[in-house]
Amino acid sequence: MPGIEHLLAALTPINILLALSGVVAGTVIGSLPGLTATMAVAVLVPITFSMDPTAALIMMGAIYTGAIYGGAYSAILLNTPGTPSAIATTFDGFPMARKGQGDLAITLACIASVTGGLVGATFLLMLAPPLAEIALAFGPVEYFWLAMFGLTLISALSEGNILRGLIGACFGLLLASIGIAEISADVRFTFGSQVLLGGIETVTALIGLYCIPVLIDLVATPDRHLKVTHKPRGFRFLEALGLAWKTKFSLLRSSVVGTIVGILPGAGGSIAGLVAYSEARRTSKNRDNFGKGEPEGVLATESANNATVGGGFIPTLVLGIPGTPPDAVILGALLVQGIRTGPSLFTEKASIVFTFIYGLYLATCLMLPVGLVIGRYAYQTIVTVPKALLVPTVAFMTLIGTYAIRNSISDMMIMVVLGVIGWTLNRFGFSPSPIVLGLILGRIAEQGFVQAWTIGAATGELWKMFFGRPISLVILAFILLSVFYPLIRSRFRKTTGEAGNVE
Amino acid sequence: MKNTLLVVTAMVLVSIVSVGGSLVLADDFPSQNINYVIPFGPGGESDITARHQQAFFKKMYGHDMIISYKPGGGGAVGWAQLNKMKGDGYNIMGINLPHIILQPAEKDVGFTTEDITGVYMFHYTPDAIVVAKDSEFKTLEDLVAYAKENPAKVTFSGSGKGTSNHLAQLRFDKMAGIKTTYVAFKGTGAAVAALLGNQVAAEWGYTSVGASQAESVRMLAVAMDKRHPKFPDVPTFKELGYDLVSGAFRGIAVPKSTPEEIRVKVSDIIGKINADPEFRALLENDGMALLDVDYKGYPAFIAEQSKVMLEAAREANIIK
Amino acid sequence: MSNNQPNELQRDTATIVISSLFIILAVGSLWDTTHMLDPDSYVFPRAIAIAMIVFSIALIVRHLIKPRKIPEPAQADVSTLRRVSLVAVMLASCLAMPWLGFLIPGIATFLLLMWIAMWDEWTATRLIVYPLVAVAIVLGFYTLFGNILQVPLPLGTLFE
Repeated sequence: MPGIEHLLAALTPINILLALSGVVAGTVIGSLPGLTATMAVAVLVPITFSMDPTAALIMMGAIYTGAIYGGAYSAILLNTPGTPSAIATTFDGFPMARKGQGDLAITLACIASVTGGLVGATFLLMLAPPLAEIALAFGPVEYFWLAMFGLTLISALSEGNILRGLIGACFGLLLASIGIAEISADVRFTFGSQVLLGGIETVTALIGLYCIPVLIDLVATPDRHLKVTHKPRGFRFLEALGLAWKTKFSLLRSSVVGTIVGILPGAGGSIAGLVAYSEARRTSKNRDNFGKGEPEGVLATESANNATVGGGFIPTLVLGIPGTPPDAVILGALLVQGIRTGPSLFTEKASIVFTFIYGLYLATCLMLPVGLVIGRYAYQTIVTVPKALLVPTVAFMTLIGTYAIRNSISDMMIMVVLGVIGWTLNRFGFSPSPIVLGLILGRIAEQGFVQAWTIGAATGELWKMFFGRPISLVILAFILLSVFYPLIRSRFRKTTGEAGNVE
Repeated sequence: MKNTLLVVTAMVLVSIVSVGGSLVLADDFPSQNINYVIPFGPGGESDITARHQQAFFKKMYGHDMIISYKPGGGGAVGWAQLNKMKGDGYNIMGINLPHIILQPAEKDVGFTTEDITGVYMFHYTPDAIVVAKDSEFKTLEDLVAYAKENPAKVTFSGSGKGTSNHLAQLRFDKMAGIKTTYVAFKGTGAAVAALLGNQVAAEWGYTSVGASQAESVRMLAVAMDKRHPKFPDVPTFKELGYDLVSGAFRGIAVPKSTPEEIRVKVSDIIGKINADPEFRALLENDGMALLDVDYKGYPAFIAEQSKVMLEAAREANIIK
Repeated sequence: MSNNQPNELQRDTATIVISSLFIILAVGSLWDTTHMLDPDSYVFPRAIAIAMIVFSIALIVRHLIKPRKIPEPAQADVSTLRRVSLVAVMLASCLAMPWLGFLIPGIATFLLLMWIAMWDEWTATRLIVYPLVAVAIVLGFYTLFGNILQVPLPLGTLFE
């Protein structure tokens, strides 16, 4: 292992303490919808000025890792991703919790996050400079196709209801284009309103579309929020470990997917989770159980989103191009510390870089005990707290969390209104997930498309631009596979005499 | 003497009234942490400069500058809300030119240039044409010659539309009599990634790109009056016969309700940080060019820049 | 409370109504794009709006030709009033914040929602303990966001 001599430097008591407190703080912050890893790291920057650069880096890395994991709690227990990275965790995590398996889901998320985190950190340690090339090889057109690949999940999320799913996605894509356009700077779809100029903030929409409907349904009936099927059974760690072992290849693949998507500066944890989920579902033996509380779904997304932490640091440290928004904050803090990123960082400032990477390992390992303990506590609280306290607490959390994203009161109103729209649509068969997919992928798809089109038209190679680049073709192949695999499979089943489950 | 005293008393009274109850004494300003809002996401030039200022502020005044991000609409979301913040000097916001001039001129973005009370402009990043190290374009003339033969074929990445990069591209095309294609990206980081990945032939970027990516890029020319001290080998457009001096200017604004005296204080603080030799060295090393326009000089500066930028934008058909 | 368990016919009507609303929305968006000059701005939304119209029409046609039933879990004891109140309280709270700041509407919202979400009996203990817990939770979050995370929470113009 490169830089192994720096392992000991990472393992000083003070660093261990910093990593531990970072993971705890990050986990708590990540679990609160609206509080993002970016914000947590940004608040910390001034403290790090008076710290040794490596200690500062370790602490920021630990907070970041913890926050990405913490997002799973609210995704599983409240159907609300605490961070955008945990969107796909809601697909199976919340159904599991409803069935009374919330504790198992949280332990699974913890194991997956640690696995993903370790895989991501290992790639960062071993292969950072060559892997950074991926960040550059991905051009506008590749981002466009990647977004399209993400959208193919709609067919999975709205089985038997594809038209509704597609309409929902279009709705989300239109919502994404409200406000001042990110690249063309035009004002779109505000219909004269000042409030909409800033567009619909993604996290705001996530909280509204996912959490408000849960609240609306919670107050309507005296039923418990989550079913309790058993007496508390500890962490259910071995059971979860067994499940993880059974899907070890899927787990590893999701971690690798997460790392690679993390390297892409324009993508991020939410897309990593969605792509990994989509792939896990396609290849799983239990594919029909996905979306209904399938443990493998939770494992796939949670390993992928934590792998983006290590992955995101690759372009940040090697190229000086931040992989994710928290990376951008950390990059700023590094510059203030007088550390200039670049290919030579790994040789010239080897001690800082390698100590940091080992610190990341340390934080990831600490996440296992920390995550299990906090997770169990969170589960117990949500399950036992009376409805009359749960509803107002969650509601208040959504309000203050939404406000904190951009310090905006209008965002809170947008959040509630979107929640009502989401609830109403859901009642008539339009589930919120396609809308969210449209919202998240819309901006990436549009930018990629417009840029690719402009470049392609300028160089006179429009066709080649969209269909003639190797990486694009690979993604395109996966898109076709995702769309047509179910058809092929059911046809295959029919010919072999088995009963196919065609709609 | 007596008059001055009267004026000061009146000012203090006015300031007390205008901030309503919460007693602000200019004498001990700053006596608490300052909220510094960046109307962009993290990682851009505005953010990195703010981080440098944060460290020096802490050193000089013992308080923190708390940086928060309020991205959206190329900064417009933040600026539209600037005057709704509390005007006590403890709330300040980063401002950028040409954004605050061109955005309201193009359409209704919720604020006008006059709505923004700038107190200091502290630096600017000159525009520059950047190519990858292995590019076939060794000089600006190579690029212009190629572009003349192949109209619209040369693609430039750049940060956003209606920005300094975009304006520079349009103006340069006109000056050189060429036609190139501008591809807008979301921020400098994405534009640089597109350049390094050979998605585009060149980038309309800033001198700061030349500094942060020194190992992998080459600048063909910078849009400055004189050569940048960090890049003595890179010619200016002027030297090469194009009268192009442009860039993105950055500064600090306060809400309109901020009392006069506090505005001056904030201006002094930023000025003091800007005067620190260590700070200057850091920023120059990052490829920025320092600027010292204080509260008094701001109106004249903005008037002059407005004239230049609006004219350029009109010529380039960005605004009517 | 007739709309709690929509029967087959009502459901189909609802789908058609919602699809029509989506079509109106898409047409509105298309109209809005006519003001845009830069193709970068309008190409993508136009494509999406057109796709949305096509999908919505397809959905309407499918429902007219072959009505389908989508099973709805039967729910007993459903209170629409509570649902509406929850949303109303949250919106009212947002509207009050510019004037009253964050804290007072926050606590008020919390207490009101507590009352709305209460399905058990209000025993004496609960009457005392719950409001105390409410204030503690709101203050806790307020401190976490306002002081530790340094979020500038609104103070309210009435108190300035």
